[in-house]
Amino acid sequence: MKRFLIYTAKIFIVILLIAIALDGLYTCIFLQSKNRGKIETVFNSKQQNYDVVILGSSRANNHFVSKMFEDKGLKTFNYGMSGGHLFEASLLLKLMIERKYSIKNVILEADLNLSSDHQAEGIAALFLPYIHNSQTIKKHFQTQENFNELYYVPFYRYIKFDAKIGFRETFFTAIHKKTNTLDNLGYHPLVKHKNGNMKNNIINLNPLPKNKYYEEIKNICRANNINFIAVMTPMCENVKGMNYFDKVKKAYPEIYNYENVVVENKYFSSCGHMNDDGSKIFTAKILKDFFDK
Amino acid sequence: MFFNSIAFAVFLPIVFFLYWFVFNKTKSTQNALLIIASYYFYSCWDWRFLFLLVFSTFLDYYTGIQIEKGKTENSRKFWFWLSILVNLGFLGIFKYYNFFAASFSDLLNTAGLKSSPILLNVILPVGISFYTFHGLSYVIDIYYKRIKAEYNFVDYSLFVSYFPLLVAGPIERATHLLPQVKIKREFNFEKAKEGVFQIIWGLVKKVVIADTCATYANAIFDHYSSMNSLSLILGAVYFAFQIYGDFSGYSDIALGTSKLFGLDLLRNFNYPYFSRDIAEFWRRWHISLSSWFRDYLYIPLGGSKGGIWMKIRNTFIIFVVSGFWHGANWTYIAWGFINAVYFLPLLLRNSNRNNIDAIQLSWNFKSVKTITSILMTFLITCVAWVFFRAKTINDAILYLKHIVTNKNFSFQYLNNERYNYELLLMIGLFVLVEWNNRAKIEPFSGKNSMMKVAFAIMAIIAFGTFSDYKEFIYFQF
Repeated sequence: MKRFLIYTAKIFIVILLIAIALDGLYTCIFLQSKNRGKIETVFNSKQQNYDVVILGSSRANNHFVSKMFEDKGLKTFNYGMSGGHLFEASLLLKLMIERKYSIKNVILEADLNLSSDHQAEGIAALFLPYIHNSQTIKKHFQTQENFNELYYVPFYRYIKFDAKIGFRETFFTAIHKKTNTLDNLGYHPLVKHKNGNMKNNIINLNPLPKNKYYEEIKNICRANNINFIAVMTPMCENVKGMNYFDKVKKAYPEIYNYENVVVENKYFSSCGHMNDDGSKIFTAKILKDFFDK
Repeated sequence: MFFNSIAFAVFLPIVFFLYWFVFNKTKSTQNALLIIASYYFYSCWDWRFLFLLVFSTFLDYYTGIQIEKGKTENSRKFWFWLSILVNLGFLGIFKYYNFFAASFSDLLNTAGLKSSPILLNVILPVGISFYTFHGLSYVIDIYYKRIKAEYNFVDYSLFVSYFPLLVAGPIERATHLLPQVKIKREFNFEKAKEGVFQIIWGLVKKVVIADTCATYANAIFDHYSSMNSLSLILGAVYFAFQIYGDFSGYSDIALGTSKLFGLDLLRNFNYPYFSRDIAEFWRRWHISLSSWFRDYLYIPLGGSKGGIWMKIRNTFIIFVVSGFWHGANWTYIAWGFINAVYFLPLLLRNSNRNNIDAIQLSWNFKSVKTITSILMTFLITCVAWVFFRAKTINDAILYLKHIVTNKNFSFQYLNNERYNYELLLMIGLFVLVEWNNRAKIEPFSGKNSMMKVAFAIMAIIAFGTFSDYKEFIYFQF
């Protein structure tokens, strides 16, 4: 039995050593990442100057046409992340500030995402390779339930989120395989879908009265003299529970309501996401209202 | 609690420690602990069905004794049929009732008689097909006086409910397992080490091979109408490796776990994809089920004795019933039927036992023939797997039709945001490792075992699929 226990202990040591080695290797590879995604690009970047930085979920990513800002002479990048919540938008902004980005305006898409102050695991996972290399990321995740496992168990974060930061992603990062995430200055245009879902039910959705990460973003902007513009972006006609946007306006009077700037179905790819044509109309309106001087 | 879960990783060492350090005085204490652990293991899935398991165990235990004690043939027959009917009754209600009710209703509707089936809102108790078959074989063996009834309830319960085999086999025989639980187990380092090796290899098969293949196979099967020929062919191959990795991985973990407690279980897989014909495949795939049907269905029906028509009838019965055992769906019946069709030429030519020797390859024509036979057997197996995996027979036929009619063999980007060819290298490596170790039950024993184990652990950690968790397929049977 003693022999077996020693043998089992050896296997556990092998597991631990392999986990530590792989953790180091993966992290090292992600620290070289440049052309894969927005989070990696920001983390591995140095000081940048922007007139406009756009933050939010897919409803930012697909709705703000960065080039139209650039055409107006405004250096802009759309950092909206499909599937992301305000948890990730806030952390991304913190990383930009940490890297001494000079930002004049932050446009935050703040509407449906105000109903949650949880992390969006699929997106939040993309920060995890750097958790040991950044106090900002560590602090941001410290309040999360599984922080101890993610931080202290070697390689656990890569296993838990293997679809996002597992072997496949690490391999593509290592060979610098480019994605289209950074194309069009971060804006991801959608096309009109024949079978796009043009119905949505948000009756049961309620904005949190004081969304922690929305407040965080607001405070960061205030502290760094960044002009903070929060907007609600359009949804299609067939939405049940459209009074959600009124509830947002009531809870957060400073958020501009642009929900009804574009309404016709022909401008939507799916109910919550405009197509490229719709996004251009919407962006033109934003530019006119905030940047026409 | 699944074998590849954190809960099991905690459960197993605790039971191991208690078994060898606290409850190791007698075989009774060892068995009592394993029974408690097994019932706890089962109740983690759904404690309500624990009563069904205990009832089923008690029924077979009691009827077994009554059959043995029976003074008249009528009395023996009564207890025998009582056990058979109650066991099959449970299986019928939980597993097959809704299928028969819906099929009967469909038939009436087709005949122009309007009907809507009365369906039961029941879930299938995990492992029912396996522990029912344990009990059935035990009672049948007593009835035919092949074995003596077991009078110790704890020992018998352990035979039925032993946690490594409880939910997905292997389907044990009383003649094999009961004698082992009747004696006190002494710790054996070599056996325990072999058990650890089998557990690790089982995990490689499950989380690296099966679950990764599942991601691709699902993306292809779920959208087969938009897939090209190459994707559809690869989809069938990926599913073949998914189901093999999943079920043989489970069996390896079960056998390995059991070895840690000093108990040997029946081998369930013997490198089935290296079979040279379909008869050999069925001697190597889910061996405990195939041999169960052979011993308790095929041979009682007359087996290969009698005329040619009798042989053909028995072959079709055993394959169709075997397919139906997997689940209440026409696709499984079709899968069994197709395998019977594959088997038929071998039966008619009396060549179903041609390939019983070990596979040897060298640089000669015979080896080319052997490799061709292996590839052909794998190919027809994949065709049958399409029926096993598809939702309906119609889907399976359309899937196969698309392969032939599409004629586009280009690389395709799948719905899971991956290319269809991405797994080929991994599968190639897996086949190579299995081929080189086909004479052993796991690939680690021998020289440099620790280094091989380290590679396997690295594969599990780095290449395993964890976030897209998938249950073992055979849990649903």
